[in-house]
Amino acid sequence: MFLSLKEIKKEKLRYSLIVTMIVMICYLIFILTSLAMGLSSQNTDAIDSWNMKSIVLDKDSNTSLSQSLISKKQERKIKLSNKEAIIGQASVIAKKTGLTKESAQFLGINKNQFIAKDLVLTSGHKLNGNHQVIIDEKFKNDGYKLDDKLKFNSSKTNYKIVGFVKNAKLNISPVIYGNISDWQQIKNLNGQFIGSGIVSKNSNYTTNDSQLKTYSKSDFVSKLPGYSAQNSTFIFMIGFLMIISLIVIAVFLYILTIQKLQNYAVLRAQGIPARTLVNATISQSIILVISGLLIGTILTAVTALIIPNSVPMSFNIPILSSVGTGLVLTGIIGALIPIKLILNVDPVSVIGG
Amino acid sequence: MTTLQLNNINKFFGTGTSRVHVLNNINFSAQKGEVNLVIGPSGSGKSTFLTIAGGLQTPSTGSVELDGNKLSSLSKKQRDALRLNKIGFILQAYNLIPYLTVTEQFKLVKKIKKENNLDDQELENLMKQLGISELTNKYPNELSGGQSQRVAIARALYTKPDIILADEPTAALDSKRVIEVGKLFQALAKEQNIAVIVVTHDLRLIDYADNVYEIMDGQMRLNNDLKKKVG
Ligand SMILES: Nc1ncnc2c1ncn2[C@@H]1O[C@H](COP(=O)(O)OP(=O)(O)OP(=O)(O)O)[C@@H](O)[C@H]1O
Ligand SMILES: [Mg+2]
Repeated sequence: MFLSLKEIKKEKLRYSLIVTMIVMICYLIFILTSLAMGLSSQNTDAIDSWNMKSIVLDKDSNTSLSQSLISKKQERKIKLSNKEAIIGQASVIAKKTGLTKESAQFLGINKNQFIAKDLVLTSGHKLNGNHQVIIDEKFKNDGYKLDDKLKFNSSKTNYKIVGFVKNAKLNISPVIYGNISDWQQIKNLNGQFIGSGIVSKNSNYTTNDSQLKTYSKSDFVSKLPGYSAQNSTFIFMIGFLMIISLIVIAVFLYILTIQKLQNYAVLRAQGIPARTLVNATISQSIILVISGLLIGTILTAVTALIIPNSVPMSFNIPILSSVGTGLVLTGIIGALIPIKLILNVDPVSVIGG
Repeated sequence: MTTLQLNNINKFFGTGTSRVHVLNNINFSAQKGEVNLVIGPSGSGKSTFLTIAGGLQTPSTGSVELDGNKLSSLSKKQRDALRLNKIGFILQAYNLIPYLTVTEQFKLVKKIKKENNLDDQELENLMKQLGISELTNKYPNELSGGQSQRVAIARALYTKPDIILADEPTAALDSKRVIEVGKLFQALAKEQNIAVIVVTHDLRLIDYADNVYEIMDGQMRLNNDLKKKVG
């Protein structure tokens, strides 16, 4: 510690540049990871908020809610407990004169079933009549207010905004919760169908209809349009970013250690044990990486505060802390690669002729 | 009493036609209480001799004994400990760690070798004697060549070694300082019973030596006549 701290104190410029580099790398990784996770979670935020375990869909719908319909005839073979809720999905364009149009996911729900009951509103009240909707806060950011009237697609029907919910996103679109009967109207289904699917909090839930099939939440989510492709892109992007950053940091610390060898040779000649020098090297890398990490974290937190709401960011603490641990470990590895050089440093090499 | 003994030392560098015979069958011994001067021109093998004597490199053939222990029979760790506790090295170049102040150079040693170093008062006296007591908070890059050399001497003496191995310790010093360093070595040998071995081409030190050796083309011989000539 003595040697490493003294060296940092003397070579302030060099070490602050190295810390700056580590800060920038941490910042880059943290921000990109959070942005990717933010976007990714917009696919599933609504689904996650329901705490569902499984979903029943038409078995020929390719696990897609938008392709699935459950008919009146099938209803007889379906038994619902308080752990099940029917949803009807429709993609809509929502608009109000004077405000921007929004592509949204209309989800028809039954006000007596768990999705409607469990909804956590940030303002307004729950559904208690027809032509009422509860909508994602994204609408609020775009100027929509409680009691405003919305129209969907080309229909003339007005829907009144009675509440707002946070993080209600499905497939990156904001969700509009409405009555299942309104869903039938929007879809022009003439009352022949009762919904698109049945969501259950029970992973073993089944119906007696052979045309309907139960899918696990993960199966369902992975089949959301574009979701899997997007996620694998993110994973590769962040993976490569991490590997390359870690190599860069390791190389820097390696060079740093190489530059110390001459001084170490002098100390070895004086009889200072190699262990002292190895400890100094490692403790210095740890100091550098950890200070870089801390500053990077602070920068990330500040960024999160000032970044506009329309840019989704999600901070997954376990993932970010494993990134941090990875950085510290590579810092140590980078400093340790030349350890053989430290151990075998030849004092004679500096004695000069 | 013989402290350091070199028996039939040969040192070769390189192989084949580029092989050079730097040290040729050298026998040498140093007693406690004596200043030994090894004089020779550049490239004659002085530094090689000194580093072999201090166990920093191994001879091609022959053996080095310190207080009766063969260096070749010691482990790397034991040789480290020996250098730390018994030998004070004053190297030809790069003696000081650039990012430590003069005081911290001593502090670092104290962290490793906790006992039996000079106490604060003794260190202060030594620094005064060497004319460097004003430099305690300076970094090596703020010192002149002669000042760093004197700090290096103080650093080597700090651990109260039994043997001092010095490589051109006076190269950057003016005659006045050379006399002081010569006297210091003499005093250390006589008063603290240390064996001092200095390799140099600086004839100004001859007055303070008990034995003067000449090294030439890898061969070494005692030549105390040099003393009379110069003295
Ligand atoms: N590691 C090495 N490899 C090859 N040759 C070497 C090596 N070290 C020293 N030599 C050679 O050995 C000879 C003696 O070198 P040494 O450093 O002992 O000389 P010196 O007497 O200390 O010279 P100076 O007064 O210039 O310091 C020189 O010819 C040098 O080139
Ligand atoms: Mg030399």
